[in-house]
Amino acid sequence: MKITALLVLKSDSSSSGDSIVLANATDVSHFGYFQRGAAREFILFVGRTVAKRTPPGQRQSVQHEEYKVHSYNRNGLCALAFMDDHYPVRSAFSLLNTVLDEYQKAFGETWRAVQTDSSQPWPYLNEALTKFQDPAEADKLLRIQRDLDETKIILHKTIDSVLARGEKLDSLVEKSSDLSAASQMFYKQAKKTNQCCTIL
Amino acid sequence: MGGSSCFHVDGMMLLKQLEVILERDTLINEIGFVHPSQLATLDRSPDATHYDETAFWNKDHKLAISTEILQHLYRAVMQEYMNVKKRLEGLIKQSIGKYSSDSPTFGSDSDHLLESEILKHTMALLILNSDFGSAWNSRKMVIVRKAQLSLLMDELHLCTLILSYSPKSQCTWSHRRWVIEIIGEKFQIMHEIVGQDSELVKQIAEKSKMNYRAWSHLCWLIPYMKGTQVIDELNKSKKWSELHIADNCCFHFRRRLLFKMLEDISAREDDESCINQKIEVYFLWKEELEWNESLISRYIGREALWLHRRFLSQCYINYFTIDHETCNSNGEDFHGIHSTLDDFLDKELELLLHSLDVTDNEFEDTQVQAQHATSYIIWISKQVPPHKHEKLQSRLQEMDLKPIMIKLCADKPHLCVSPLLQDYNSNV
Repeated sequence: MKITALLVLKSDSSSSGDSIVLANATDVSHFGYFQRGAAREFILFVGRTVAKRTPPGQRQSVQHEEYKVHSYNRNGLCALAFMDDHYPVRSAFSLLNTVLDEYQKAFGETWRAVQTDSSQPWPYLNEALTKFQDPAEADKLLRIQRDLDETKIILHKTIDSVLARGEKLDSLVEKSSDLSAASQMFYKQAKKTNQCCTIL
Repeated sequence: MGGSSCFHVDGMMLLKQLEVILERDTLINEIGFVHPSQLATLDRSPDATHYDETAFWNKDHKLAISTEILQHLYRAVMQEYMNVKKRLEGLIKQSIGKYSSDSPTFGSDSDHLLESEILKHTMALLILNSDFGSAWNSRKMVIVRKAQLSLLMDELHLCTLILSYSPKSQCTWSHRRWVIEIIGEKFQIMHEIVGQDSELVKQIAEKSKMNYRAWSHLCWLIPYMKGTQVIDELNKSKKWSELHIADNCCFHFRRRLLFKMLEDISAREDDESCINQKIEVYFLWKEELEWNESLISRYIGREALWLHRRFLSQCYINYFTIDHETCNSNGEDFHGIHSTLDDFLDKELELLLHSLDVTDNEFEDTQVQAQHATSYIIWISKQVPPHKHEKLQSRLQEMDLKPIMIKLCADKPHLCVSPLLQDYNSNV
């Protein structure tokens, strides 16, 4: 059971381009020392890719290799969690709900005016990343929220099924400004040797 | 490898550099084989004067080796290893002939030099290819003659280093066990070794999921654990398995620990302290059963949890329950550490009833949970004496669960034919 990252992004109709990162808490300590940089970059890249394709009001879970990316967009404010396959889905979404509540409590509607990635730290998100590693904690949230949101969760078996028709992950990787040359090389190498790419 | 690099790469020189790095920084704790473009982005180390910066990077006890030079490096180290190996074999033959003893000792300085050459080259070789059995064996031949604690600890360190980037390397794990066996025979520090390796396994398991080899290493260490260490390990692994409920390996480790405790008390005579111990194990067992049940209800549809429960129930039935009809008559004192089989079965049926609720099946997990529960109860029915079987059946009938259960195991013919469900069919 592992939460690797929690992100909050701006993903509304006003921003026609990529989603904008408002807050980011990432724990890559379980990766090898030399893979951590690439892992951070891929989290940002995949996070932006999924957030952009989660329309307001939607909840979705994207499976990629042994990872799951859960995403919930509430009126243009989108919370994302990178988790392993075993974290209970219900608990994951109640956590995302709480993250959005807390974000709006702390920053109100200021995010609507944000135009570039924010590097301003938000201590709550880092604390949440640590605290909710144990799903029992998220379970407590679940009990309070049980009947708050009944939106159906859309499950995707691969990241490709999130992409629009004609879009290709390979070309997104190539175009992305989140990925360094080394990370792109890593992605290609992993794909070529047909290894399990454990980061993306 | 980049086809564009047409300049001559001197493998021997690179090997020397690598061996110097390994000699100078004995605390290296992680190694990575990185793409040259990543190597270029790593910030410069003050030690960089000793090596080619396009090939290596060494700082903060981390070592990066460029993927571009691996083949040259490997060829060079193979050549060196084959040379020293031949010389070592010659030496062994010679000394066996001379002393006609099967544990020859080398006396001269040149022999010692050869030994350290072997250790140096095999270290580099194994870092590049940890599954090279002959190289591990050459190290064993050198080490077994010396059996100094410091040398043995260095071996453990080398294993730890290699496991940091190839955590499932079987040769490395087995070399580690070989070293620990020698330590266990000659030195009285097994307590520390067990503690240290238990930490190591947990660290490795955190990074590489479902690492059977790492956990079976820890299981292998159980016979070396003394007294409270077993309880300590049980307590330490509890939280870990709670956070990795899909990883059967850690549950398996717990089963081995629990079973060791059971075996220990069964082997002893019935004296006062033994009874106390029995009571302790009994409560431990009850606690484990309750803990398992709470996990089952929190993590829906997880097979590892149900498998763990099978083990717990089977041992509980065999060691801690009594059958009312057969045992009550002789009026023996069981020190309050036995409950009746009926009570136990009633509790398990309650769990079944609870797990068969599939109303909220949005993620298909409650369906899986119900299936696991059904096959669990069928399995339980095989563990109890035949006359209990009927009772179990009538209880299922009372609760009207059989039709649901039959539906649940429709795609599992081996479960459908279970007598527990069969009789119902013939009754209707």
